[in-house]
Amino acid sequence: MGENGWQLENPIIGIVVVALTFLLFYVVSYISNRSSKSVEDLYAAGGGVGAFTNGLAMASTYMSIATFLGVTGLILNMKVPFVIMWIQLILAIPLITIIYGTSLRRMGAFTPTHFIRERYGVRASIVAALFMILVQIMYALGQMIGIAVAFETLLGIPYFVGLVVGGVLVIGYVTMGGMSGATNNAAIQMVIITLMFVVPLGAIMKAMGGSGWYFPPLLYADMVPTMLEAVPNFFDYQYSVKWYFAIIPALTFGSLGLPHLAMRVYTASSLQSARKAMVWFALVLGVVFSATYVMGFAGVYFTETTGNPISVEDADKLTIILNLVYNSEWVTALVIAGAVSAGLSTLSGNLIAIGALISQDIVSTLRPHLANKSKVRLGYISIALGGVVSVVLAFNPPDFLVVSILWAFGLAAVTNAPLIVTGVWWKEANKFGAMSAAIIGGIVYIVVSPFVFPSIVISGHAMTDGLGLSGAMFTVPISFILLIVVSYVTNRMPGLQKYLTKTEDAELIERIHGWETVNPARYNSMVAAVIIVVGSIAVFAWAIMPWNL
Amino acid sequence: MNAYQKEVWFTIIMSAIFLVVGHSGLLFAMFPTDAMLFGFPVMYIVPILSGWFGVLILTIIAGAIGNKIDEAIERENEMKRAEAAEQKSSKGVN
Repeated sequence: MGENGWQLENPIIGIVVVALTFLLFYVVSYISNRSSKSVEDLYAAGGGVGAFTNGLAMASTYMSIATFLGVTGLILNMKVPFVIMWIQLILAIPLITIIYGTSLRRMGAFTPTHFIRERYGVRASIVAALFMILVQIMYALGQMIGIAVAFETLLGIPYFVGLVVGGVLVIGYVTMGGMSGATNNAAIQMVIITLMFVVPLGAIMKAMGGSGWYFPPLLYADMVPTMLEAVPNFFDYQYSVKWYFAIIPALTFGSLGLPHLAMRVYTASSLQSARKAMVWFALVLGVVFSATYVMGFAGVYFTETTGNPISVEDADKLTIILNLVYNSEWVTALVIAGAVSAGLSTLSGNLIAIGALISQDIVSTLRPHLANKSKVRLGYISIALGGVVSVVLAFNPPDFLVVSILWAFGLAAVTNAPLIVTGVWWKEANKFGAMSAAIIGGIVYIVVSPFVFPSIVISGHAMTDGLGLSGAMFTVPISFILLIVVSYVTNRMPGLQKYLTKTEDAELIERIHGWETVNPARYNSMVAAVIIVVGSIAVFAWAIMPWNL
Repeated sequence: MNAYQKEVWFTIIMSAIFLVVGHSGLLFAMFPTDAMLFGFPVMYIVPILSGWFGVLILTIIAGAIGNKIDEAIERENEMKRAEAAEQKSSKGVN
């Protein structure tokens, strides 16, 4: 441990290990580079990624640097409620795959916004793309800052230098390899993340006296009695039923609107492969998620049983602190490399999504006759631009962008997920409903966040409002009600018929579900629409009642 | 049940089961218990196990059923193609 807090005594070990991992990622990008000749190659790896690689890449893209440097600290502070909140994140890829992923893969979409453009028109897709870019920038910014902070606090590299060097290296390897390189790297990064998290955790548990060190994700029951003695309320749920329910619209539904996750499904070599990939995703993500809860458990156990409190400022470094205390320096260096890998895999997904959103969903939409070569070049420039903007914002980030990546899930839940889900399953949904839902829902969600007008919030509980739980429970129903009611009404207004493309919409919906002919009875249920509106009104009413937290 | 109905009901039911399995903590928030399982409080270990192995099993089931529904849709497409060809040929004969 260094003199100035939790840091490697010999940062050279850490720098060498991190440099070697970067070298590995560049080599993989170089080898994977298919000299992307088309936008399909650049954003969907030509639609040719196998199930195992894709499953690992899905898990790796999803698992951000927060797995190493944020989540465990939050478990240290919030204890079990944060574990319960985190568990459901594993639903993201399975729900995306079964609800709309395979349909959009069949369509040949590059991004969810690509589908929104075909389904609702150019204006709606640009509104959705702008919200998605904001979500992706928040995500990417969090990773950039996390990587630079890891370099600064753990390796002693100044923040500014770490940010610029790390940023340039990431932008370099993502633009060099495109989706193909990013996918292969993400799969390798998943292996690194798993090994560098779980194996050192086993050593930590052994040093703490745990008998189940050989399978740390589940075998720590023998430490529970001591934990209950030291922290009797560790396993308490603390919050109300409403708080746990709010996780569904905010985070579970939000993950359906995250483009960098959905884009992984579109890279699958076939629909069968996409479905197999979600199995690998659930298996691998379960290992690391469960290990994350144990690391948080071990952190509380450490502070309460050894009399070594970890300060609030150091809570995010819990994983590293436990490694510095119980493992050797070179092991800690490997853990830091794992943390950086987690940040890089998510960041590469974010940058490719930003590139696709800017070049395909905005510029190419406004200038549809661009040559293929120009589109590919524009894609590379957009990816690099997304990276540069993230680095520049990270110099002095606005508070609202840094406070909560999880808040961004809620924004995706409000502005994107209703458009995609309803657009895939209900022919009546139209551009007027979609625009109303995305614009009004998005604005309301931002207004009721504590970051814009601190006095206009839903629950009044700082963490619940900051994470977007209360805001999403309030606003997601508004988006659904607007989308369904406005679509239903405008479909029956004679003056608006010339702006609607009902025949093309019906053909698109049938085609992405695999049908060769159009049947008016399919995907047209008014009963389902009424049930969703009534359910949304009930959830909205519950959201505006007192939260009592 | 035709392929369309199978597809719709599969998506609704499977999504609901995924939600229940991934959000078993919500059920325990509604119906708390002090019981222990494998040395852990039930309210802690069951959400973790169902959020990992439960979801894993469901992905296997969802993948298998999804593939079968694709095949059913393709069969109905083939039937429609055959019907259209038959109508075309009978019109040609007449």
